[in-house]
Amino acid sequence: MPNEATLLKDETVAPEYLADPAWIRIRDLIYQVSGIYQAENKFYLLVSRAVRRMKVVGARSPREYLEFLTARPNRESEMRNLLNEITIGETCLFRSLPQIDALRKVVIPSLAEAKKKLAYTKLRFWSAGCSTGEEPYTLAMILLEETQSTLKGWTFEVVATDLNDRSVAKAQEGVYNDYAVRNVPPEFMKKYFTKSGADYRVADSVRPHVSFSRLNMLDDSKMLFMRGIDVIFCCNVLIYFDGKSKTRTIQHFYNGLLPNGYFFLGHSESLFGINDKFRLVHFPGATAYWKAVETSVKAGTP
Amino acid sequence: MKTESLDRLRSRIVKIDAMPAIPVILRPLLRCLDQPAEQVDMNRIVELVSYDKSIAAQCIRMANSALFSRNTPAETVRTAVLSLGMWRVRDLLFSNSLSQVIPNNRWVVDPSVFWRHSLGCALVSRRFAEIIGYPDPEKAYLAGLLHDIGVLVNCMVAPEEFKATIQKATIEQIPLNEAEQATLGFTHCDSGRILGEAWKIPPDLIDAIELHHDIGDPNRGGPLVAMVHLSDLLCRLRDLGYGYYEPRQVDFANEPGWLYLAMQFPGLADLDMARFTFSLDDYAREVGELVATVFAGRGAS
Ligand SMILES: C[S@@+](CC[C@H](N)C(=O)[O-])C[C@H]1O[C@@H](n2cnc3c(N)ncnc32)[C@H](O)[C@@H]1O
Ligand SMILES: [Fe+2]
Ligand SMILES: [Fe+2]
Repeated sequence: MPNEATLLKDETVAPEYLADPAWIRIRDLIYQVSGIYQAENKFYLLVSRAVRRMKVVGARSPREYLEFLTARPNRESEMRNLLNEITIGETCLFRSLPQIDALRKVVIPSLAEAKKKLAYTKLRFWSAGCSTGEEPYTLAMILLEETQSTLKGWTFEVVATDLNDRSVAKAQEGVYNDYAVRNVPPEFMKKYFTKSGADYRVADSVRPHVSFSRLNMLDDSKMLFMRGIDVIFCCNVLIYFDGKSKTRTIQHFYNGLLPNGYFFLGHSESLFGINDKFRLVHFPGATAYWKAVETSVKAGTP
Repeated sequence: MKTESLDRLRSRIVKIDAMPAIPVILRPLLRCLDQPAEQVDMNRIVELVSYDKSIAAQCIRMANSALFSRNTPAETVRTAVLSLGMWRVRDLLFSNSLSQVIPNNRWVVDPSVFWRHSLGCALVSRRFAEIIGYPDPEKAYLAGLLHDIGVLVNCMVAPEEFKATIQKATIEQIPLNEAEQATLGFTHCDSGRILGEAWKIPPDLIDAIELHHDIGDPNRGGPLVAMVHLSDLLCRLRDLGYGYYEPRQVDFANEPGWLYLAMQFPGLADLDMARFTFSLDDYAREVGELVATVFAGRGAS
């Protein structure tokens, strides 16, 4: 979909308004809950989004709104609403073609070969921070396509999660406009979409392979359950996170991946200095992180 | 390659007169640049540029292109050289003289793709050298620039077979040297060594040419070979290759060349390889501009 962020104009806010110390408290609160850290120079972004919520609930000052987030009985749901407001993000179907090529030409064949040896014929992908569903549907279409060749006879599932429950609801609808599908190759368009009015609806053959749910990646207790994954996509999400929350989240991803599994970040994102267990691997035009198969414990380590 | 088959290849190249001549400008250029940057004589560079009308025109054109243009247009060779900076002029001179090594109608690979890759590899090798603290980044640059020079010999010595080789590599998505081994029985690494010897370029550069695909024991070629090997790989993975898809997964940190360099240059441990890779997209843009300048106005071959 054309992104809401681009459709809804951010409210303009006066510089003095930004100086209210209550914003710092709100910023830190958001960070505590979601790991999203808005640096000073991006402050206006947070504030302009929060102002929309303030109007809805009728808070007259940042201090009063802070109260809505901390003291009122429905503070949890207000926090959720605020997070929905600030996490609307840019995305589209078939966003990165080099990543898709790497999947089809290298990653899937190599996973298939390794798993077949162990008599497994199932793959599990996870799109973490899936926004309105474009990424997980893309993955499901690619995998479906591969079941014609490399993955003949295989089953697969794409688990898709996001913090923003409004995005998750839209993802479940699976209906996109022509801007969101602009990168979809014609063969995929024909096979995996049906036209409905001006929009494009994800075909029924794709839908059963994707399951959506709300998940906060900073919720350790929930992240612990994400296990047995072959490939994780977490693109353009961690850019909102500070170092500590990144490290924590990446550790969960590492644990959730099966040995030999792959982890894809967005364009220009790097794990340097954040995690040294993953191995950086290069494909043509794309990079990813690989969980090496552990070959017996090194001699000499206790 | 074994010495005897190398000898056979050499005599074959000589017999059909397929050995490209060293460009006239290359020797004085190499000599002129073989000194610390501060001491390179600008006047001498301007003089070398002015030798050749087409090179001079290219310098001026490039200085006035969108990437470098300043408020006042460069009209003389001198102002063009000053505005481009010495290294960029050197890039132009090199690619120019080298692109004339074989006649226009003998190219089997697309010359602009070839120079994109060679220049890309030169820039990446030099950057790599600077990052890890290798003492002679300019040598790394030259090694990168010349590493695939054997391709030119192949165009001359076996044009038909080499065309088939390139097709095979493209269709089967395999490295060029593997396709060459299968169809020609020798590679551009072998023919490159022969050319390098005929041109009497320094032996460590010849090693880089010969060993850049298959470095074997890294101790043999030393850091220069390892750097060129890694840079070539990286260029092929980042849109500065030969324009076809090579489905592969490269784990640089566990490549023998990398491990070898890491032992000698502790600086390598501090390299954010992912960021380094992303920064190549800027190189690709710069190289594209340069190659466009060299090939602008020259008929496609
Ligand atoms: C820019 S979108 C990325 C969409 C998609 N992955 C892509 O690259 O096209 C970022 C998404 O990250 C989600 N997000 C941000 N913080 C999160 C958190 N703590 N837990 C889960 N999702 C989060 C946002 O809700 C948003 O949908
Ligand atoms: Fe080569
Ligand atoms: Fe090369």
